[in-house]
Amino acid sequence: MRKVAIVGGGATRCGKRKASWRDLVQEAGKAMFESVDNLSPKDVDSLIVGAAQPERFVFQAHVAPMVAEYLGITPRKVIARTELMCASGQAAIRYAWACVATGLADVAVAFGVEKMFMPDMAEAQTNMTCVLDREWDGVNGLSAPPFFAMTAQRHMHEYGTTKDQMALVSVKNHHYSSLNPFAQFQKEITVEDVLKSVAIAPPLNLFDCSGITDGAAGVILVPAEDAKKYADTPMYVIGSGQASIGNAINNFASLTDWVPLKIAAKEALRSAKITLDNIDIAEVHDCFTISEIIEYEAFGWCEKGEGGKFIEDGQPYIGGKVAVNPRGGLLGCGHPLGATAILQAIDILQQFKGAVPKGRLVNDAEIAVAHNLSGAANVHSIVIYSR
Amino acid sequence: MSKPEFDKVKRPETIKLPFMLDFYPLEDEKYTRISQFFENLKEGRLTTTKCKRCAKLSWPPRIVCPECLSDELEWVDIGTEGELYAFTEMRLGAPLGFGQDVPFCIGIVKIGGLLISARIDNARYDELKIGDKLKLKIVELEDGRVFYRFKKPS
Repeated sequence: MRKVAIVGGGATRCGKRKASWRDLVQEAGKAMFESVDNLSPKDVDSLIVGAAQPERFVFQAHVAPMVAEYLGITPRKVIARTELMCASGQAAIRYAWACVATGLADVAVAFGVEKMFMPDMAEAQTNMTCVLDREWDGVNGLSAPPFFAMTAQRHMHEYGTTKDQMALVSVKNHHYSSLNPFAQFQKEITVEDVLKSVAIAPPLNLFDCSGITDGAAGVILVPAEDAKKYADTPMYVIGSGQASIGNAINNFASLTDWVPLKIAAKEALRSAKITLDNIDIAEVHDCFTISEIIEYEAFGWCEKGEGGKFIEDGQPYIGGKVAVNPRGGLLGCGHPLGATAILQAIDILQQFKGAVPKGRLVNDAEIAVAHNLSGAANVHSIVIYSR
Repeated sequence: MSKPEFDKVKRPETIKLPFMLDFYPLEDEKYTRISQFFENLKEGRLTTTKCKRCAKLSWPPRIVCPECLSDELEWVDIGTEGELYAFTEMRLGAPLGFGQDVPFCIGIVKIGGLLISARIDNARYDELKIGDKLKLKIVELEDGRVFYRFKKPS
């Protein structure tokens, strides 16, 4: 296996964009190619596109060739689309990494895109209901917010976690996203703002939930030995892990104990030959405030049930035990499904370069973990990057 | 310059909901090999499949056991009384076709050794608590298909 580097990346601004799916693709593609030297679209031999639901959101399938067409890429080794719902982009990175590592590809693009704003937003909400088991869970009106609401309720019930503690996660991530020009939400908020925001599915309020977002992003992967040809400061993929326990809600022994995350994290750390203490930056999947709290616990930064206290003590801030979501997270930056993991990777690359605004810069960061969950948190995907 | 004239073409403003945008399963034996589940439900019985070889109880019902791959499964009753394990209330962002029901409660119900998701009828969010006893409720769609829910006994 060859060591693999990410040499550059580019993204759109995220949010409610006056732009079509294919406009987003072009914006991000242009930015991606302009971020590297000595590389044109024709040099790319492989393209993996992470896209969760283009068939539903924009009524378009076969989207990887479409991205290739719009970006002037002519794949001759590998072309495919990855769908793993909220982790679709990370699946694209992992497959592009695997292709370059094995020698199947030499210059691969991992791209991610989602256009989620539709003229009728009820239709967009409907799309999200086929993510869980549509015939047995979705049929009950279950999409992500009610599922994570019940997860939050169980965490509160089992460990005494409070709505204030959950709100603090949103406050932290909006603080960092206020310093991120690509973010959907660039305003600071307070605990009171979260608690007073409209109830979506109790105990979750609007600001406990990541947004509906339009966005696209892409990164370029090459063998490490070629990396300096394209960029002065590449970053390296040093480990990865992934685990799943099915899709339907009934597969859980517990809503609050994310076993597949523990398995994926253990494998990622093992394959990267590092320990948790080596991680300087953690870009984790805060699709809802409760998700980040459970992630502190499942990764092992704090004990089971102590996630609420961990944020209360300021431990996931820069300067604390570990900098969690200094990009602004999904809560602050938005969550354009297929693009999210790519956006995380690009921000980590910018962190390693020291090219992010001061208030959210993690000084001398060497190692970062990027995590995405998907479905009812029954799939967890992790990549570890190093400077 | 005068404004150009165009042929007007029509696009219907409303279309019949396509079958696969319908949340409810296709229940007839023409479409599924677990139609027995719905036949049982029509008799007031909530059932699922149990493997005759390894005794694995599956939910939802299967035609092949995910534990031992046997296709010799039998229908067993899960029961008609459950316990509320977790719940919430859909207040905003309901999918198409659910708008008229908002707000409505959704829960995870412990029943017959399984955790299954379901609509919880007959109660608002503030009237429910974890551990509440619930009763099976069966609903019938206009086209004759049936589905299960749970309700708080009144």
